[in-house]
Amino acid sequence: MKLKYLHFVRGVSINQIGKLGMVLTTSSFITFIFLEVLRMMKVITNSYVGLITYLLLPSLFVVGLILIPIGWYKYRVSTGKSTKELLATRFDQNDLQKSRLGASLVRTVLLFTIINILFLSIASMRTLSFMDEAEFCGTACHSVMSPEWATYQVSPHSRVACVQCHVGEGAGALINSKLNGAWQMISASLNLYERPIPTPVHQLRPSRETCEKCHWPNKFYGSKLKSFVTYQNDEKSTPLYSTLVLKIDDGEEVGKAGIHWHINDKNTVKYASVDDKREEIIWVEVDQPDGSVKRFQNKKLNDLEIKSEETRIMDCVDCHNRATHIYEDPEKAVDKRIRKGLIDRSLPFIKRESLGALLSSFTDSETASNIITNRLNSFYRKNYPDLLGVKGEAIDKATEVLKTVYKTNIHVGMNIDWNTYPNYLNHDKDSGCFRCHNNNMVDVENKPINSDCTLCHSILAYDSKEPFQYIKPVSSADKDSAMHVYLQEEFLKSFN
Amino acid sequence: MKKLSFLIISFVVLGTFSFSMAQSSAKIAGKCMTCHKEKTPGIYKQWNKSAHAENNVTCISCHGANKRETDAFLHEGAYIATLVTPKDCGECHSREAEEVGRSYHATAGEILDSKDAYLAHVGGGEPIAITGCESCHGGKVLIDNNSPNKLSSKTWPNSGIGRINPDGSKGSCNACHTRHSFDKAQARKPEACSKCHLGPDHPQKEVYEESKHGNAYYTHLDEMNINADKWVVGIDYYEAPTCATCHMSATRKQKVTHDVGQRIKWTLRPPISKFKDNANQKRKNMEDVCLACHTERFMGGHFIQFDATVNLYNEKFAKPATTIMKIINKKGLKERKANFANDIDWIYWELWHHEGRRARHGAAMMGPDYAWWHGIYDVIHNFYFEFLPAARKFKDKDVDAFIDKLLKDDPMHQWFAHKTTSELKKSINNGELQKVYKNLFD
Repeated sequence: MKLKYLHFVRGVSINQIGKLGMVLTTSSFITFIFLEVLRMMKVITNSYVGLITYLLLPSLFVVGLILIPIGWYKYRVSTGKSTKELLATRFDQNDLQKSRLGASLVRTVLLFTIINILFLSIASMRTLSFMDEAEFCGTACHSVMSPEWATYQVSPHSRVACVQCHVGEGAGALINSKLNGAWQMISASLNLYERPIPTPVHQLRPSRETCEKCHWPNKFYGSKLKSFVTYQNDEKSTPLYSTLVLKIDDGEEVGKAGIHWHINDKNTVKYASVDDKREEIIWVEVDQPDGSVKRFQNKKLNDLEIKSEETRIMDCVDCHNRATHIYEDPEKAVDKRIRKGLIDRSLPFIKRESLGALLSSFTDSETASNIITNRLNSFYRKNYPDLLGVKGEAIDKATEVLKTVYKTNIHVGMNIDWNTYPNYLNHDKDSGCFRCHNNNMVDVENKPINSDCTLCHSILAYDSKEPFQYIKPVSSADKDSAMHVYLQEEFLKSFN
Repeated sequence: MKKLSFLIISFVVLGTFSFSMAQSSAKIAGKCMTCHKEKTPGIYKQWNKSAHAENNVTCISCHGANKRETDAFLHEGAYIATLVTPKDCGECHSREAEEVGRSYHATAGEILDSKDAYLAHVGGGEPIAITGCESCHGGKVLIDNNSPNKLSSKTWPNSGIGRINPDGSKGSCNACHTRHSFDKAQARKPEACSKCHLGPDHPQKEVYEESKHGNAYYTHLDEMNINADKWVVGIDYYEAPTCATCHMSATRKQKVTHDVGQRIKWTLRPPISKFKDNANQKRKNMEDVCLACHTERFMGGHFIQFDATVNLYNEKFAKPATTIMKIINKKGLKERKANFANDIDWIYWELWHHEGRRARHGAAMMGPDYAWWHGIYDVIHNFYFEFLPAARKFKDKDVDAFIDKLLKDDPMHQWFAHKTTSELKKSINNGELQKVYKNLFD
């Protein structure tokens, strides 16, 4: 029996091309099985080996299969003999003997074909499922993807696979993403990509198809209490609180329309921006119940002509543009770590020094790590020498935490520095909400879009000593007592 | 087995080698410090309190040189170079070096072909071109193999901001970041800039001191967090801006940049001011700085007033004077052939290079005295009572015809030869005269 297959192999390897085809097919088949077994046993987890296993080997396998008949055809042309004559010279007469189940040779070919088809289908399924793993996306193209991989792993969506947002469902989406991926592979290997990668990423599926699988508009209701702490630069790193009641309703509750009104099924908000960054907005349109359209035009950009294909209907990502790959602001990053207790606030000037350590370089994470360590250690050695013995561990821990912050956020090879990518989920730096909600964006009567502070949030504290400063009784001796009273009233009325 | 032992041996050899490399560089650094602590205690102490010392950046890190470099010399057993160039600093501060490299500052050394340097060389002589021009602008560093540090005494010391270095880099970080403490506060203070940005031809320091900004700065310097690592205007300090604040430092939207000039729309340098490349974006960048403390309306008004003053200078004085000079030069009317060898060369030069710039800078940075008394006031006097009479001296019909037409037909100049005081006062009072200048505010 074994001999029979050996004969077959020898018979098919008719010339150099045929032999090459045979070698390629067989060796890639065996290697694939070998690597796949190792992967199943979790011996191999590396994405590069995955690329070889799932992309290179099946391709070689197919190439080999194609070469075999090409070899046969060439041989036939060169010898001038017919297929029948050739078969007779290459194979044993017994194998060619016709029987009820077809000649033995035919059966062998059939068997191998079935194996080939099975192998290819299983391999391609494995390939697809391998490429669906976040690990593959994050680590296969290491230099390009490492910033996104680093930020993804600590994001609120770290348990949602990359492909769920970036590819979506259906054959169309799959083909699209694979074509895109092929180009990305070329541009990564030939170093054609931009640094940093420009955003927004257009291959992202429409958010109605992705985000809304879990977060659908009717789910946003009422208000959300959010408190921010920022620590001052003084010796005690004194905390200051800002507490907001974010009005995030979608407007289903009568009179309670909040921020998610923009994406309520019943509302359509359309806008045109100067360029693809969606940073400078030219006009915004809102469909009115009577079928008309209300337009707010940016007074400063009156003369710009807009092509209709450059307009967008607002959806989740127009505000939540960094829902996953969240790059932190350095100051907020330090504040967050202090609040979580990862950085010990009892260390004198720890806020100021931590921020200084993060900001003092733009370099690779190893050099930055040294700078951060030197910076904190030498500060305490110089100014609080007694502290080293007592709080040495806390200083070391702070150093480690800051190194991780740096490593996650700063990627010098990709030119990603602090705040390289804007985050539109607030109105820092006049961006985000203020792109449209500003005094230059006016209707035909020159009336601007409302940008009143209390339109979207009630303010219970703003860089205040206490988290609920403004709803506590206030003395008229307070310099800003008028503001306390105003905000208190607004808050109370907002729930009427 | 053979292969394995070869591998092990090479690892051991390489390991020892790199270990000894690290050892030897620490040894060199130690040796430098040992001598220099005694011989140049000032330099040692400045370095010792610097961030460089904190991060183990020692003498040899910056002064270490490759034997092949033209300014490298053997010093106590190590090849070093006295000159530390932006290329050296850029080994660590790569972004800053890159920004400096493309900045206007980096081109300052190219002034050696300019009128200023020409005047210093012909009217003065080489010594003053070195101590005057090149001390600020930077000179081309010359190699002298007989010099103890291989640098020619004519070009060392030199910390000019556009210094042309032997390694091909341009500039000198030290021009602003004074060695060897490289102190943040020092570079942020207006004094860092005012080594060069002062005097009759570009009195930025004096204008700043006169302005509200300067006044507030000198009053509140102690409250300005000037040593802070993060120094964002409006956030980390708010009492006043320094030169750095407006032209370089971080804002809520912009990062600190060493490419100065990215926030200025006009060039106020040449005889006739014009917009720089990408002028609108540059103005936006500056507006972003202003908005840290001012409202949009306040800021918008300032820029309208500033632009109108530059337009006034351009249209009323600079353009006609330049046209007249062109006629004179084209027709070869001047007695002596060399530039600056004739009275009118100096008069025209001072019109734009001195008083003309003072007026423009005064208006740019809110220094009313410089805009008017040291500025347009002097421009007026120069134009009507020095420049025009000097031009008329040639008794050339084309020059005279141009001047006559200007004084007769241009409503901005009609006051001079064709109106009485009472007529003019009346037209000021009823607003007629102001209408002449209406377009300058557009």
